[in-house]
Amino acid sequence: MLSTTGTYFDGISSNPQVIELTLDEADAALRFGTSSGQYSQWPIDEITFEHIGNFLEIRNLHHSLELIKVNDAVFTSGLIAFLKLNGHLTWYQRILQLSFKTHIGIAVLILGIIVAGYLIIIPTVAEKAVALIPQHYDISMGHTFYQQYVNDNTVDSSKTEALNRFANRLHLNNTMKLHFTVIKSSTVNAFSLPDGNIIVFTGIIDVMKDYDELAGLIGHEVSHINNRHSMKMLCRNLSGYLFVSAMLSDVNGIMAIIGDNVHNLQSLSYSRQFERQADEQGTALMVMNGINPKGMTTLFSRLKSTEKVTMPAFISSHPITDDRIADINRLYKRTPRPFTYNPVLENLFQQVKN
Amino acid sequence: MENEITDLKNYNLSFHGQGKTYFGIVIVNWLLTVITLGFYYPWAKARNLQYLYGSTAFEEDRFTFHGTGREMFVGYIKALVIIGLLYGILFLFIYLEMPVLGVILFYFAFIAILPVAIHGSYRYRFSRTSWRGIRFGYRGDRGELFAGFFKWIFFSIITLGIYGAWMEMNLRSYLMSHVRAGNVEFKYKGVGSEYFLMNLKGYLLSIVTIGIYSFWWYKDLFAYYVDNMSLHKDGQEIKMKSIATGGDFFKMIMVNLLIVIFTLGLGYAWATTRTLNFMVSKIKLEGDMDLTNIQQTEDDYNDATGDDMTSFLDINFII
Repeated sequence: MLSTTGTYFDGISSNPQVIELTLDEADAALRFGTSSGQYSQWPIDEITFEHIGNFLEIRNLHHSLELIKVNDAVFTSGLIAFLKLNGHLTWYQRILQLSFKTHIGIAVLILGIIVAGYLIIIPTVAEKAVALIPQHYDISMGHTFYQQYVNDNTVDSSKTEALNRFANRLHLNNTMKLHFTVIKSSTVNAFSLPDGNIIVFTGIIDVMKDYDELAGLIGHEVSHINNRHSMKMLCRNLSGYLFVSAMLSDVNGIMAIIGDNVHNLQSLSYSRQFERQADEQGTALMVMNGINPKGMTTLFSRLKSTEKVTMPAFISSHPITDDRIADINRLYKRTPRPFTYNPVLENLFQQVKN
Repeated sequence: MENEITDLKNYNLSFHGQGKTYFGIVIVNWLLTVITLGFYYPWAKARNLQYLYGSTAFEEDRFTFHGTGREMFVGYIKALVIIGLLYGILFLFIYLEMPVLGVILFYFAFIAILPVAIHGSYRYRFSRTSWRGIRFGYRGDRGELFAGFFKWIFFSIITLGIYGAWMEMNLRSYLMSHVRAGNVEFKYKGVGSEYFLMNLKGYLLSIVTIGIYSFWWYKDLFAYYVDNMSLHKDGQEIKMKSIATGGDFFKMIMVNLLIVIFTLGLGYAWATTRTLNFMVSKIKLEGDMDLTNIQQTEDDYNDATGDDMTSFLDINFII
């Protein structure tokens, strides 16, 4: 029988009452009496306890406002040992009683599962999901954006017409009807929309010197559309973002912010994968049409000379230009492909330029 | 008069939570929340509050949070249904091609929910908190708070937000002045005009000093909260005073920031216990109240809907 002196609050007033507290192991109960002669017995399976530092706080499940406080290390460890022996510790208390090192281990394990899930499960699931999304969804998404964009910018209609005729001369393995639009802007760039619309700025046309460069640009953008890169990107980004937020924001805001930023860096790397794929397939399309694949690398060199700052690859959405040129050279320089001068394309190219 | 001054005694508020122990709780909560795909969240919240309340002591006796995961789960589901209904109505109006009316109704309903949720949250949290076996309670009237809240929101909108300072103080005074622990009553006497000037000064000086003054602004905000709070029972009183300085806030916030960043967020447990320890240790309590004869006066209240609603709406509960 373990005994100690404790403090008892009766749940009626805040008056601390000194009690003699006894653990009766045979009856599995706590017994105590107050100085005013009140006598109580709490069965072990009706108590909950909180162990904080040297203090032990014991409550009765049925009278949760009544409270016993004990400041006695011997009694505390005796009671806990008794509860443990009789299986009165809950599974939650057991996990909490594990060592600090185990808790760190659990944290590392969860982080590991999250990283693995993020790197393996998300991209696979997202890729599969894209196959399930009907193509008309791509079309309506691209169409909405296109309408908005064309309304806000100036279209060069004669160049647009010439560019479409140029593209029609090429075999592009396209799965969707393509439509090119030339926008008046000094920006040296072009982009594709998921519905088969491709926007080309006059800025990039102005820097081109040869029709094979324009063919390279078209090949690159069409490959984005053929592979549904926009939709893949959207699925990966959305699912990755939801995953990271759901897993980390339960812990705290800082972890969620760090997670979101890591995710942003990761999605830039997805974007670089897609660009590289579009470069490769775009160049293959040029070869298939009997156009000199060198046009692609020439185009990149021109892009490079207009770049003001060179961003390191890990924070850029496109692979850096030197890398792209080297990649294409690796594919085509050693085994030159046959190509013939195409006066029709040359003529159409001149119309696009003027 | 002199007699009265010598009768005053100091009361001790302390925080005993430790980063290491709290880390265990946070991690176990995280593990269970991830495993159960989020369903453990209400239980995690209850465990969290139980630890933090239980680690705070007044005159060496700890507070207890009696709320359970089950209560919070029920509240969580109810809150989810209410918010779901709101969105349902919004989408119904969009479907009926009356989006403007839908959005107006949606925001109106949201503003209407706020005071109801705050009211519920206060009732639940306080009724579930006890000290020395004495239950806390919140006795505000829902209708009264609702009417006041709409009036204050209206004034805030037509004054382009300037009235916000008055609104905040009116709200805080109403809420805190209806809080009690047994027969001990809380009182808050902050006023909008002072609060407005303090914030204006804090804002302007923070801009001028590129943010450095913000730590002194925090100090003022904290002091304005604490210094205006007092406890009353049978003509006896306890007054509260903040002894935190701007430098204290600077040190606390900077160190916390470094801890959290360099542990990639895992140090959050230590940052939380440090913050609570800081706040609690910077409050001085002085008065003549006898704490051995507080009487139990409050009933039980176990509906956690308001509390879960406020966490959905991301309003932090401050006591």
